[in-house]
Amino acid sequence: MTAALPTEIEAAAFAVATRGVAKRYGRDFALLGVDLQVPEGAVYVLVGPNGAGKTTTLKLLLGLLKPDTGSVRVLGMDPRAHGPLVRAQVGYVPERGDWGYAYMTVGRLLQHHAVYFPAWDWEYAANLANAFELDLTRTLGKLSKGLARRVHLLLAMAHRPPLLVLDEPTDGLDPVMRDETLGMLAEHVADTGCTVLICTHIVHEVDRLADHLGVMRDGRLTAQMPRETLHRMLRRYRADVPEGWQGVPGLDGTVIRRGGVGREIQWSVWGDEREVSLRLTESGATVRDAAPLTLEDAAVALLSRKE
Amino acid sequence: MQLAIDTADPRPIEAQIADEVRRAVVLGTLRADDTLPPVRRLAAELRVNPGAVARAYQALEAQGVVQMRWGRGPVVAPPPASSDDRGAMLRRLVDRALRDARRNGISALELADAIRAAAEDAPASPSSGPTGAGAPPR
Repeated sequence: MTAALPTEIEAAAFAVATRGVAKRYGRDFALLGVDLQVPEGAVYVLVGPNGAGKTTTLKLLLGLLKPDTGSVRVLGMDPRAHGPLVRAQVGYVPERGDWGYAYMTVGRLLQHHAVYFPAWDWEYAANLANAFELDLTRTLGKLSKGLARRVHLLLAMAHRPPLLVLDEPTDGLDPVMRDETLGMLAEHVADTGCTVLICTHIVHEVDRLADHLGVMRDGRLTAQMPRETLHRMLRRYRADVPEGWQGVPGLDGTVIRRGGVGREIQWSVWGDEREVSLRLTESGATVRDAAPLTLEDAAVALLSRKE
Repeated sequence: MQLAIDTADPRPIEAQIADEVRRAVVLGTLRADDTLPPVRRLAAELRVNPGAVARAYQALEAQGVVQMRWGRGPVVAPPPASSDDRGAMLRRLVDRALRDARRNGISALELADAIRAAAEDAPASPSSGPTGAGAPPR
């Protein structure tokens, strides 16, 4: 039994779809054949260790970088050919925000920004500024990391774009502001029905919001799937095993992680629950539990999977 | 309305929301004609995906627990003539206890004995039959 993790998502329409995207910096590959598929209306969380290629992927979507090979479609457009058009319809929170004009006040930046977005909603912008506790008279150069992040979030959300691309959106925010931001984001998604693509290291924080998960490692998207699939197929089994237990022949390929104390063994296994339980039982183990994982545990399990 | 949502719970978020609403209806903290928050508000409050709230509301509507109204939150429906909601809630509670017991290598009989023994030790709790309103918890 070989358990290939799913890498294709089924959907009627995709807000983001890349095919075989590769990108190299000098001699190093940053991306190797990435097929990212974000369905319209999804909240898609992309996780992976530093240097996995997440930020590079997002930049390709915005047309800020060009892929060496492969195709990129964002809201039906090719960002290589129509970068400005794509960027006008995407709310982007970059990993690092460089303003370029440190002397400018936050309020002035908003005015400057609003000009480029016909759908800019000043009333909503004011609400967001209020919720994010932003002082519009502050100068950009003097903003803390957390405040700068909130300005970026406001800029991304205030024109209600059909797609939000958020690179570590809560980085530098204090716990209360994080929580507040996630609430604003949930409300924003409910109001606009927009698609959200989030890269984050703090997976548990977006557990309740995410409906799709993508896992990136070494420039490859090793798995992507809707939440229901993850919930159904990836489970943590706890079982008691007899003395001298030999394991389950054929199950090795699907075992993602194993560990345990004494005679109790835990596995995170990808596969149909009934089938996995049956195989464990047949091998002499007593299955105690087969529970779905939290998004964070699932991400860790998928990332640490041995090839 | 206070809904407890836990990401470590094995049930998906929408199932947790629906279960919590059902529980509130059974306990009488939600009554017929009470309004539930609109999707966007509950999603923002719980920091959950609005789709999960919408699916929970749809499931509750399909089960006749609530009625949807355009542009507003759903309304709690009047209870059906012969409802055994308490029975259903009890069954869910028992199923969860049994699952936990099994996980810990405890048989159903052992669990039942332990519950009986614990109930005998515990001080008498205010009675709350299916018809009696019972005393509100503190």
